[in-house]
Parts: sequence; structure tokens; C-alpha cells
Amino acid sequence: MDNEKDIAIRFDHVTKEYKLYKNDKARFKGLFNKKIPYKTNKAVNDLSFTVRRGDAVSLIGRNGAGKSTILKIITGVTFPTSGTVEVNGKISALLELSAGFDKEFTGRENIYLKCELMGMSQEEIKAVEPDIVAFADLGEYIDQPLRAYSSGMKSRLGFAISVNVQPDILIVDEALSVGDRKFRKKCKERVREIMADETVTLLFVTHSLDAAKDFCKRGIVLERGKKLFDGEIDEAIEFYDAREE
Amino acid sequence: MDTIRIIIEEHRLLGFRQITKLAKSDLVKKYRGAALGWAWALVKPAVRIFVFWFAFSIGMKGGKPINGYPWILWLIAGFLPWFYMQEMISGGAGCIRKHKHLVTKMRFPVSTIPTFSSLSSLYIHWVLLAAAIIIFACTGHFPDKYYLQIPFYMLLMFVFFTVWALGGGLLAALSKDFQNLVKSIQTAIFWLSGVMYDVNKINNHTIRVILKFNPITVIASGYRKVFIYKEWFWEDKTELLCFSVTLLAFCILAIWAFRRLRKEVPDVL
Repeated sequence: MDNEKDIAIRFDHVTKEYKLYKNDKARFKGLFNKKIPYKTNKAVNDLSFTVRRGDAVSLIGRNGAGKSTILKIITGVTFPTSGTVEVNGKISALLELSAGFDKEFTGRENIYLKCELMGMSQEEIKAVEPDIVAFADLGEYIDQPLRAYSSGMKSRLGFAISVNVQPDILIVDEALSVGDRKFRKKCKERVREIMADETVTLLFVTHSLDAAKDFCKRGIVLERGKKLFDGEIDEAIEFYDAREE
Repeated sequence: MDTIRIIIEEHRLLGFRQITKLAKSDLVKKYRGAALGWAWALVKPAVRIFVFWFAFSIGMKGGKPINGYPWILWLIAGFLPWFYMQEMISGGAGCIRKHKHLVTKMRFPVSTIPTFSSLSSLYIHWVLLAAAIIIFACTGHFPDKYYLQIPFYMLLMFVFFTVWALGGGLLAALSKDFQNLVKSIQTAIFWLSGVMYDVNKINNHTIRVILKFNPITVIASGYRKVFIYKEWFWEDKTELLCFSVTLLAFCILAIWAFRRLRKEVPDVL
């Protein structure tokens, strides 16, 4: 049943260890000398799971359960210490919405920068540019340098890019609270629209279990980097609630 | 080899156009907001040259004409590349730390950060180069066939310091000590290079050769060959050989650092 093409994300015995040295000096020495002592913290511990194309999965867990680290591994910001990670398709992440923007570039130039970093070609970017501009709804500001933007405007632009590049995998990290109420509503609707497309995979990270229930069918409960439960979202929430008490 | 391939691949992903744009943006960020703005790019070097000219020529009564050129022109020819190199020694080490939002917040081709940082300093170098050519022309020394070597030395300089910025930038990202070390030896590197004196005039052969392993010596003397000495770059083969050895050593450092640290840097910054 695990047809290769159907897999969006696969973690195979993935471990992410952070090396904790006494101080920066020890860390630098550790580069050249393996005997320098350090403690390790396993943010992700021997984790395996598979997400099929079109799945909507929620990662549930307290702070420090390893959710953010998992997302960072999937988006390619950080790298696993051991194990293999397979990610198929274009990832769009609704986290750190304004990351990677250059404040001297105009809004439009930033659209190109971000899309090119996602590996899109000029033609592909040209095709989605009007959608992004319309969604962000920044008026004349779209051709102003980003330093003139408010933080809300930057987030809006970031969100507009993320949801309009036709991602294969959408990662949402409680980012739905962007801008004013009207824009938030628009965002939620847009995420739902994307979700309606059955080929898009959703990975949802939140503390709000209601939102998780709303969007996802499957839930993975994590604690200290380990997977405790993986199954139907209702059961996952029940399991999580029971553990919390 | 794999590491080199990854680095090339990363540059391809970002693309030439975006790299030049990011370089320009870096430059704008540096000078915007200052009242004199772009003029600072010229004022700072001018002040520096004046101070050195005053100290050595007026104060110490040195600075005799060299090869028929006033000493100040000799000074300008050597300082011209030094301003770029100086910026790249500490700036190169700091480049990844400076752009840490690109490393820790998103997936970004990290090996391109040194490239656009270096390019951004090169833009200033072009302005200074134009100024130098104008100064020489105003004093009656017009461009000749030796000026054709400028792109050659500029390329050597750009390649060397971009490679340095990759290795040094990654190491400095991991350790502030390294960054401070670089800053503190910058003055030493300057005085142990041929920017302020002609290395070929040193009597001791060993010291002469050792100094040529300092790439700053080779670049500064290269620019002087163009403007003052009117020699060709292939005439001093030791110089080129020493430069190549140093460059190779720094390439190895950069590749090692990239392979070893690329995956660690996002966790540490």
C-alpha cells in the first residue's frame, strides 16, 4: 500500500540531537577534537512515520515535544543527526511568514526571491504573481520596499505567497492568526480551499485542539521527541487529554 | 567533490540575478540613512590615504617618488585593493552571522551568502577603481596597455576573498572567538603585507618569499604593477605560485568547513 508516489513525507528512525557544550569555546574546540565533552539533547528520538499524499495530519504535543524541530527538518532548515527523511513535492510553510524577505526589495521583488528559493521557474512565478498580489491586498505598497511595511503587512505578503504557490505540502504552525479579523477569515478559507484539493498534504501544528479537529483526520501525539500515539484525530486528542491529566 | 557540487548547485538555485540583487541590497542597507550616504564610500578611503600620506611623507619625511610617480600615487594604487580586502577580512568572517535569519528561519542556499556579500564589497571597489583611474589621469598618467591586467587581479582578489568568506564565515558563525581573532589580527595582516612597502626591496630572501604567501601582498603589488611599475603579471612567477598555494589551502579550508558545519550552523546560530 505504500506506493512510492503516494508518499509525501517519510521519517525513518529519525533522531535529532542537539550538542550542548559547556560554552562556545568548548564547541569550537569540539570541531577539531572529538574528546571534548558535551551533553546531548534529543529533540527528536528515533521517530518514524509516513504521511501519504492528501493526508491531513496534526502534530500534537506540549512545548518541547519536538514539533518545531520536526517541521524544521521537513522544511530543510535543520538536518537530522541520524535516520532518513524523504519529502516529495513543493513545501509551503506558514511559519516564520516574513523569513527570507529582504527589506530593501519591493513586495513584488520579494515574491520573486521567495519563489525562486522554492525552486520555481520564472514562468511559474509569473503565473502565480497576480494571485499573490491580489491575495495580499497591499494596494500600492506592493511596489514599495519592504522597510515601509508594517509587520502585519509583511505577514500578509508572506501568507499570500505561501498559499498561492500551489504547494504539494502545506505546513501550518498556528499561523492562522495573521492580520485583522477579515484577513484571518480569508486565510482560513484559503487553507480550506487548498485542503479541498485531495493531492495536497497538510501538516498542522497547534495547541488548539479544536482547530486540529477542524482540519485533520489523523493525529500524532508526541512527547520528548517520541511518538506516543498515531491514529484517528479524535482518539489522538482523547489520548493526549488523558495524558495531560 | 560532492561538496563542490552542492555549492555550485546552491548558486544555480538562487541564480545570478538574485545574487546580484542581494549584493546590491546589502550595499544599500549599509549606506542608507547616513546623511552623506554614498559619499562615505569615497570619504573614508580618502581620509585613510591622507592620514598615511601625512604621517609618512610629511611627518617622517619619507615617501620619495617611485618609478617616476609621486609617492601618494603609489600609495593610492596599493590601498585601492586593500579597502576591499580589509572589508572582506572581517566582513567575510561575519557574513553568515550577519545573515543568520536566512540560515535559521528558512531553507536557504547558505553557500551563496559569502558570494553576494563579497560582490557587494566589490561594487564599492569598482567606484574606487574609477576614482583612482580619474586621479591618475588628472595627474597626467593615462590608461595604457597594463591596465588590461586589472580584471585579472580583481578576479584573483574576488575569488580568494569569497572563498575566505565561506570558510571563515562558517567558522565565525560557530564561534565568536574566531570572529574576534580575525578582527584582532587584521592590523597584523596589513603590516605584514606589501601594502605599505615594496616586498621586493626586502634584502632577506626568505622573508621576501614568506610575505608573498600573503595574498594581500600579491594583490596590492598586482595593482601597483598596473598603475606604477608597468610590469606584466607573468613576470614574477614566485608571486603567482605562492598565491596559488595560499588559495588552494583556503579552498580546502572552505570545503572542509562547509561539509563539516553546514548542518551544524542552523542549530548553533
